[in-house]
Amino acid sequence: MERHLILEDGTVFSGQGFGAPATTFGEIIFDTATSGYQETITNPIYDGQMIVFAMPVVGADGIHAEAYESINPKIRGMIVHDLAEVSTNRQRRMNLDRFLKQHNIPGLYQVDTRKLIRHLRETGSQKATIVDVVDDHARDQLQATVLTNKQVQNTATTKAYSNPGRGFHIVVIDFGLKNGILRVLGDYDANVTVLPYTTSVDEVLTLDPDGIILSTGPGNPEDLPESVLTLIRVLQSKVPMLGIGLGHELFALANNSELTTLPAEYHGMNHPIQEIISQEMIYARQGRGYVVDPDALDTKKLFVTHRDMVDNSIQGLRHRDFPAFSVQFFPDGAPGPLEAKRVFADFFETVVDYVQKNN
Amino acid sequence: MVNKIVLDQASMQRALTRITYEILEHNKGGQNLILVGVKTRGEYLAHRIADRLEQLEGVKIPVMAIDISDYRDDRLSNHTKLGLDEDDRVNIIDKNIVLVDDVLFTGRTTRAALDALIQIGRPKTISLAVLIDRGHRELPIRADFVGKNIPTAQNEKIQVRVKEIDDVDEVEIVH
Amino acid sequence: MYKRTTDENLKRILFLGAGETDFGMQGENDAAIYQVLPILKSQGYRLFLVDDNPYSMALESSEAETIVSTLTVQNIKSIIKEKQIDAVFPGFAGIRGLRLWQQIISEWREEDGARPVGLGMPDSTVELLNDSAALFERLESAGLSMPRATIVRNQAEANELLRDLELPLLVRAHNPAAGTTRKIVRRLDDFEDAIDQVMSQSLTGEVVISKAINGLKEISILVLRDSNGNCMQVGATEDMDPVGIHTADSLSVAPVLTISDQVLQEMRSQAFLVANILNIQGPVHVQLALNEKTNQLYIIKVSPYLDNLTNRMALMTGYPVMLVAAQLAAGRVLQDVELPDSYHAKTAMMEPVMDHIVVKLPVFSFGDLKAAGVEVNRQLNSIQKSVGSALGFGRTFIEAMEKAIRAAHFNNRSFSPKYMKNVSDDELIQQLIHPHDNRVLLLVEALRRGYEVDELAELTKIDEFYFYQLKQLLKIESQIVDGEASQELLSVAKQSGLSDGLLARFWQSDFQSIRAMAKQSGVVPTYKALEPSAGEFPENAHQFFATFEEENESEPVSDKSILLVGAGAFRMGDGAAAGYVTSVVLSELRKLGYKTVIMNNNAADASLLPHLSDKQYLEPLEVSDVMAVVDQEHPEAIVVAGNRRKLIEALVALGQKVIVLPKEKHQPAGPESDESEFALNIFYDGEAAYPLVLTQHQEGEVRLIDQDVFDADLSGIKLPYSGVYQLIWREKRTDWPKEVALPNFAVDTWLRPMPFGEIAFLSKILQLSLIRLVVRSWKGGLDGSDLEALVAHMPALRGSDFAMVSDRTDFNLHLKPDSPIDSTRFEMGAKMIRLQEN
Repeated sequence: MERHLILEDGTVFSGQGFGAPATTFGEIIFDTATSGYQETITNPIYDGQMIVFAMPVVGADGIHAEAYESINPKIRGMIVHDLAEVSTNRQRRMNLDRFLKQHNIPGLYQVDTRKLIRHLRETGSQKATIVDVVDDHARDQLQATVLTNKQVQNTATTKAYSNPGRGFHIVVIDFGLKNGILRVLGDYDANVTVLPYTTSVDEVLTLDPDGIILSTGPGNPEDLPESVLTLIRVLQSKVPMLGIGLGHELFALANNSELTTLPAEYHGMNHPIQEIISQEMIYARQGRGYVVDPDALDTKKLFVTHRDMVDNSIQGLRHRDFPAFSVQFFPDGAPGPLEAKRVFADFFETVVDYVQKNN
Repeated sequence: MVNKIVLDQASMQRALTRITYEILEHNKGGQNLILVGVKTRGEYLAHRIADRLEQLEGVKIPVMAIDISDYRDDRLSNHTKLGLDEDDRVNIIDKNIVLVDDVLFTGRTTRAALDALIQIGRPKTISLAVLIDRGHRELPIRADFVGKNIPTAQNEKIQVRVKEIDDVDEVEIVH
Repeated sequence: MYKRTTDENLKRILFLGAGETDFGMQGENDAAIYQVLPILKSQGYRLFLVDDNPYSMALESSEAETIVSTLTVQNIKSIIKEKQIDAVFPGFAGIRGLRLWQQIISEWREEDGARPVGLGMPDSTVELLNDSAALFERLESAGLSMPRATIVRNQAEANELLRDLELPLLVRAHNPAAGTTRKIVRRLDDFEDAIDQVMSQSLTGEVVISKAINGLKEISILVLRDSNGNCMQVGATEDMDPVGIHTADSLSVAPVLTISDQVLQEMRSQAFLVANILNIQGPVHVQLALNEKTNQLYIIKVSPYLDNLTNRMALMTGYPVMLVAAQLAAGRVLQDVELPDSYHAKTAMMEPVMDHIVVKLPVFSFGDLKAAGVEVNRQLNSIQKSVGSALGFGRTFIEAMEKAIRAAHFNNRSFSPKYMKNVSDDELIQQLIHPHDNRVLLLVEALRRGYEVDELAELTKIDEFYFYQLKQLLKIESQIVDGEASQELLSVAKQSGLSDGLLARFWQSDFQSIRAMAKQSGVVPTYKALEPSAGEFPENAHQFFATFEEENESEPVSDKSILLVGAGAFRMGDGAAAGYVTSVVLSELRKLGYKTVIMNNNAADASLLPHLSDKQYLEPLEVSDVMAVVDQEHPEAIVVAGNRRKLIEALVALGQKVIVLPKEKHQPAGPESDESEFALNIFYDGEAAYPLVLTQHQEGEVRLIDQDVFDADLSGIKLPYSGVYQLIWREKRTDWPKEVALPNFAVDTWLRPMPFGEIAFLSKILQLSLIRLVVRSWKGGLDGSDLEALVAHMPALRGSDFAMVSDRTDFNLHLKPDSPIDSTRFEMGAKMIRLQEN
C-alpha cells in the first residue's frame, strides 16, 4: 500500500508501506553503512528516530538472534529503497517485515532514498512522520508534535542487574546500553554489574569495581540531571573509566567541557579515525548528533586522543590526571569494524595495572 | 618446542601507547621529563615514546641512551667506561627521569642503569618503563609502567625485536 | 613510523607491463598503468614502461618513456641497467608481473650491480609468495584458516586427521596410477571405504586428505594498505555460485547482500591481517570461503597485486583505487595521497560505500565457438572459462542483474519464457548440480517449473535470497506478458531493468511506440551519480547509471558533445584492441576540443577511465539505453563501431547523426596452415585512399613486409566511411618473403576494415596513430597539413623487426576444445616479439 513520509520542511516522499501500518513521528536521520541493519534498528541510541538507509537493498540477511542490540527496537520508522523478503533465521519465523510489525514500527520502501539523503544532508535532521494520506491534518500533526527529550529514561535500565563472569568486576552505568558492549565484556570474561544512571557514588564504590564503563545512549546528554556529572567526577578519580558515545559526551561535560552539533549528523562506518598518539588510522561505527566542542574543551583536564579525519570532530578524550578515557565512536563492533575493539583491550590493560597497583 | 610470538607489531604499538599515556598522567604535560633508553633496544623504545609525546603535546622530550654493558654486577668488567654517550649528556639534575628498557627480568640491568645515572647527577625522580615484565626478580625493583606482563619460565628467553634494527616489531619467547 | 617513507632517492621507476591479454587478464592492468602515469609523473618521478602488448594504451602514453620489448628477465635486466632504474613496479602487471619480478630477483648477480628496489612489497614477501608451504604456515600461525592438504599413508594416520578436521573431507590419491578419483566424504561411515579405495589408486599408497570447501559461499575483499600499516577496505563482493566454480565464471554482486555484519567484519579483519603479514603497500585481493552453518572462514586465495577485481571495484564504487594504490606503492601514506580536484578532499581515506547494486556477469564464447564447429567443455569448475564480463548497475538486485544480462548479451532474451523450454527435466537437474554457462536462465527455468526455493538452494548451494529475487522476477514477467501496455506496467518493467525493445516484443508493439509511451507517461530514466560517499557529501561526479526514481542528477556536459558507444564486454576475437581503439578516439576528440561522453559496461576497458572523457554512463548498450542517454545529453554525433549494425540502423532511423568506426561483425578467420594472407593497409579519408604498408599474416603471426607501396594505384576505391582498411589476397606459401608481386588491387583482392588489433599493432610499429588520423578525418576531412604530413611520412612506413603473434593462449587448459581453435578469429590476446628472438 502506498504510504508517505512528510518532513517538517514540507517535503514529501512516497513509497510502499511495510512493517506496521502505524502512523509515527520521529527525528529523521540517514545511515550510510552497507551492513548491520538489524543491529542499527535495535540500537537504543536510535530511540525516537526514523532511519533512512543508503544501502539500497535491506533485509537480505533476515533477522538473527545474535544480531540484536536490544530486545525492543525503539526506532519510529525505517525508510529503504528495496526490501528483500527472506526468512533466514533458523526457525524461519522472522524476517524484517514481520519484525517491524511485531514491534509496531512502520517501514517505507521503494523510496528514492538517494534523493532523500541528498536533501537531508543539506537540511540536517528534522522532524518527520509516516502517514497513509498527505493532507493538512497530517502536516498540522507533524508541526504540533513535540518530540520527547526523555530518551534515556525511556531506554536505560531502572534496576541494577548482573552479567556474571570470572574476571574483573566491571560496573556499567546504563544510559541506554547496547548489547555489543556486554558481548565484548563477555569476551574478557568480565564480571559485569549494570547500574541505573541514578545510582549514588557510594553504592557504586561499595561494589568495589575494577573498572567503570559509561554506556552509550540516545538523545542529548544535557537533558540528564547534574547528579550524573557529579557521579562521573568522583568515580573517574578512583577507578579506571571508559566512556562510550553518550558516555563520552557526559565524560566531557563532567570535566568542564561543552558540546556542539555539526551541520549534518553522521551515522555510518566509513570515516577514518586517527589515534593521534600513534598516528594510526582505524574505522569504526559512528552514530552521533552531538560532538565535543574543540573550542570549549578544558585542556587542563582533558586532552584529545582521537579525531575523525574527515570532519575533524573529536573522537576520543583522556583525562590528564586519571586513568579515564572515552571514545565518541562505537568500539564494540556490533555493527562495525572490529579494529575499534582495541579500545576495550586498552581499557582492560588499564584495569590490570590498576588492580596490580592497588593490591 | 616451537618459538612463540607473544606480542605482534600491533600489540607492541598499543603497549608503547599505553606506557606513554601513563607517563603523561604521572608527569604533567611532560615537563621536566627526560627519557633514558637502555641500549640497545630500550633506546629505540625511548625514542618511540618521545615521538608519541610529541604527537600529543607538541613538545620534544630529550632522549638519552645509556650503555650498561660495563655496569652489570654479575659480569666481569673493568668499570672504567661511563655508560652514557658523551654527546647525549644533558644536565639531569632535578629532572624527572624515565628509564626505558625492553625487558625487566632479574632487575640487575636496571640496577646497573641506576648506578650509571646517579654517577652523573642527582635527578628529582627516576621511574622505570619496560615493554615486557617477565618476572623472576632478584632485586627489589619494580616497574612503574609496564607494557605487558608475560610470566615465563627461568630457562625461556624473551626476544624483543624492533623495526629500526630487526626489520620487524615483535616479541618472541625462545626456548 | 611517523616519517613519510617516500624515499627521496627514488627517482626512476620502471613499470612492468602485463603482456598479452588472456583468460583473466583483459587489459585492466594496462588501463591501470595508463591511468596512474600522469599523477606519479606530477610527483616528480621519471617513469619508464616496458611491455609487449600491442593493444596497450600505456605504451603510447607521453607521461613515460615507453619501451617495446618482450618481457624476459634478460631484457628487463638490460633496461634496468641502461635506464639506471631505482625502483621496479611489478604489482600493476598482476600475477605475471610478480612472477617476472621474482625471477629477476633470483637471477640477479653481483656483477649486475645494485638491484633496484621493488615497489609494493618487500623482497621477503615476494619470496614468501613463491613458496606456498611457507606462506601457508605463516598465515596459519597468525590464526588464519586455509583448506589444508595432508598426505597420509595408512588408515590410522587418516583417522588421526579425522579427529582434527570436521567433515566433509576431500579424499584423493597421491601419485595416482591413472585418472584420479576425488571423493567427498560427508558421513563418518563412508570414511574408511573412501580411504581404502583411493589408496589402491595411488602408486605410492598415499592419500591426500583436505577439507572440502566446495559448496561454501565465496567472497572477495579488496584491501588497500600503506607503509604505516594503515588498512582500508575498498569493498567486497559475493559470488552467487559457491566455491568450486571459478569466481570469474560466477555471477557476483556488490555490495555483499546475504552475509551478516558480524561475519563481514570478521572477514575484513582477516583480510587486514593478511595485508599486514605480507607487508603490502597497495592493493590485496583476499578471497574467502564461508561455511554458513559454522561461520568458519577459510582464506582461499591471496592476490597482492592488481587483478580484475581492482578495476571493477574502482568502477563499482567510484573510489579511485588505482590512483591511490600507485601512490601507496611509491611510499605515500593514505593521509598524504593526492587526488584530482574532482574528488572530495578526503576521498582517499574514506572507505567507499555503495548506494547502488552492481552485478557482474561472466561472458562465455561457447556459442561462437560452436558456430565455428568447435565443441568445448561447458561445465563450469575451478578453471576459468569465461573470456570477459559485463556489469549491470541498478538500485535493486533485479534491475542490476537484468542490466548485466543485457550488457553481456546486448539483449535480454533470458526474460523470454520460451528460451529455456527445450531443456528436459533430466538435463535441468544435471545442470543445476553441474552448472553451465546459462546459469541464471536455468535457475529461472527451474523456478518456472515449480521447484521450491529450499530444494534449489540445497541442490545448487546458492543462497535463498537469489531464488526469492528470481521468483520476484518471474512474477513481474507474467504480469507483463499477461498484461496490456500501461503506464503502471511500463514503470514496473523499466524499474526491473528491461529494455524498450523487449517490451515491444512482449506487447506486439515496436520500439518507437514504447518509447513514445514511456516519454508521454513520464517513465524516463533518472541518472544517479556513482560516487563513493553514498550521498553523504556533495560530489562532482562524472559517472552515472540509469534507474527509474524521482531525482535525476545528470546535467548535459555541453551543447557540443560527442557520444561514444563502447565495445562492452571483452569477447574472443575482439581482443582488448576494442578498448584501445575507443580510448584513442576519446583522447583525440578531447584534443580536438570536443566534450565527450562514453557509454560502456566493461570494467577492464581503458575507455571508462575517468580522465579520458567528460562523462561516463555505466549502462548496457542497446538502442533503448543509448537513446535515453541521447535524450539526456543531446550529442552532436554518436560514434559506433561498425559491427553494431542493428544499433547503427536504429539510431539513424531515429534521426541521429552516427559516425561509424569501420569494423567487421566478426574477426575474420585466419589463413590456413599452408597459406599466407597478404594485406595492403590503407587509410581512407572520406574521399581518397592512401597506401600505408604491406603486411603478411600466417597462422598466428603478422609481419610487415619491407617493400615500397606508396605509389600503389588506389584511385578506384570509394567507401562509405573514412577509416583504415585492408586489401587482402592469399597465396599458398609459408615462407616470409622480402618482397611480393602486387596483384591487381581492383580485381584480385577483397577489402575489409582493418581489424582493431592490427590498427593497434601498426600504430605502435609505424609510430603513426592510425585512429587519430581517422578521428581527424571525421570533421570534414583532414586539413591539408595532416595529409601533407601523412604523404611525407609514407616512405618511412617500412618493414620492422617486430612481429605480432597471437597463438600463445592455452585453450586446452581453459576450454578443452575437441579441435584446434583458430587463434585469429578467436584471439584472446597478442604480443609483439622481435624476430631474431623468436
